Amino acid sequence: MAEICYEVVTDACPSSVYESTPAHSRRRPRFQTVMHEDWEKNCKRSKQEALATRYSSIPRSSREDFSDQNVDVSSPRYGVSSVCGRRREMEDAVAIHPSFSSPKNSEFPQHYFGVYDGHGCSHVAARCRERLHKLVQEELSSDMEDEEEWKTTMERSFTRMDKEVVSWGDSVVTANCKCDLQTPACDSVGSTAVVSVITPDKIVVANCGDSRAVLCRNGKPVPLSTDHKPDRPDELDRIEGAGGRVIYWDCPRVLGVLAMSRAIGDNYLKPYVSCEPEVTITDRRDDDCLILASDGLWDVVSNETACSVARMCLRGGGRRQDNEDPAISDKACTEASVLLTKLALARNSSDNVSVVVIDLRR
Amino acid sequence: MPTSIQFQRSSTAAEAANATVRNYPHHHQKQVQKVSLTRGMADVPEHVELSHTHVVGPSQCFSVVVQDVEAPVSTVWSILSRFEHPQAYKHFVKSCHVVIGDGREVGSVREVRVVSGLPAAFSLERLEIMDDDRHVISFSVVGGDHRLMNYKSVTTVHESEEDSDGKKRTRVVESYVVDVPAGNDKEETCSFADTIVRCNLQSLAKLAENTSKFS
Repeated sequence: MAEICYEVVTDACPSSVYESTPAHSRRRPRFQTVMHEDWEKNCKRSKQEALATRYSSIPRSSREDFSDQNVDVSSPRYGVSSVCGRRREMEDAVAIHPSFSSPKNSEFPQHYFGVYDGHGCSHVAARCRERLHKLVQEELSSDMEDEEEWKTTMERSFTRMDKEVVSWGDSVVTANCKCDLQTPACDSVGSTAVVSVITPDKIVVANCGDSRAVLCRNGKPVPLSTDHKPDRPDELDRIEGAGGRVIYWDCPRVLGVLAMSRAIGDNYLKPYVSCEPEVTITDRRDDDCLILASDGLWDVVSNETACSVARMCLRGGGRRQDNEDPAISDKACTEASVLLTKLALARNSSDNVSVVVIDLRR
Repeated sequence: MPTSIQFQRSSTAAEAANATVRNYPHHHQKQVQKVSLTRGMADVPEHVELSHTHVVGPSQCFSVVVQDVEAPVSTVWSILSRFEHPQAYKHFVKSCHVVIGDGREVGSVREVRVVSGLPAAFSLERLEIMDDDRHVISFSVVGGDHRLMNYKSVTTVHESEEDSDGKKRTRVVESYVVDVPAGNDKEETCSFADTIVRCNLQSLAKLAENTSKFS
């Protein structure tokens, strides 16, 4: 296990940082310097994230026992890459909780994945990482929920999360948060939340903000979420109907201030910026993988490109074998997430980048 | 209810400002105008009214935001007057460094770094007025990476007696003038700036009220 961990961590660091450097000799030295500094930070964070992922995985022996019982409900393989990128602060957060919920009377575990992209500060996203999966778990009431029940569960969880970050501001701010301790009520901090719960037969996605979930099915992208941009026609109607307005400042912004129309937190922009998630429920079929990522990726990488990269990594050695070692799949997912992150940085993404790739092959 | 009251006051102030503009019929629309932004407000000391009288250029817009605070004037002023530490109550400020002067003398310049998610990166701001006796502070924006060119604001704190209940309260008034950026109109620009100023003054009120509660 330790050997495998080390191997994966090593692979997370690219052998050649500059292979995508533009061919401008005048610009190259400066760019290299910036990239080098950024990449050193990125490698460190990638290692930490990869190690955290590795240690939080189900132990190998337990996984094998579990898989032997029923190959159709094997535990998910996944990879994570989450990097600061060119922005000075890291405000993204990722939460992964395999088998986070086993509703009563059910033998089928459900797995939770979430990406949260904070703005204004990091503590709302950090709070989502710590709490949102627990709220979802509490709201889950039955085995094999139907579509309406899933929507209700997710809407309630997001609303409770939003209320928590508002009232939580009245208590203690986390140590790694730079908000001045004199100002506990941080009404102007918020976060996106794109969450996926994967069951043996369904993929549930709940999205609030402009992070995104994309399913790769037969090599083709299937969007499972739609970005909440203020100029999306139905969002524009909702905002104006509530008495707000969308102003094109450098891009469409609610009251000229916020570039997304839904978020957890941002109390000062309520009710124009809503925390209500859009929920999709998709039946599982012969799927390749699911990609959850922040807009640091999606702003510079299309759904099609992301799917191609992920599929290529997952099928590096051909179709997955029935008895394929779980570690091999985990490694492929990690490679996919790291490669996508690297691609985003190479395309000059100016934001934090967080990518989760989940192997859905069975 | 406080919010709606505040909204009414802001609306009244804006209407008063518009009325003031119409009092200069002999000027063409493109001429510079002198605008009194507290006209129509009740119980405004003369020095406050003078502080909130701005010269407005033809491509500029202006607005005023009023915030009542249940804390002594001295408490509010002690927070407001820290030119070198605006992030105490301005939550959109990530950090601030005084780059010219000491932060107390007129002419000091601070570099303000803005939090993520906003359409701005940093702002260079010069201290124009610091009057500890009359509780008046003013700054103008002299550079930075944002679209609010030639922004100048004045903020005052005074004690005000409300007609309805005769109770004295502390009133903060912030008025500003700013260029309308290319591609936007006056209403949009004021809508954006008012959102920021209103959020700042609400944070100031909460902080001052919490501070005076614990002292």
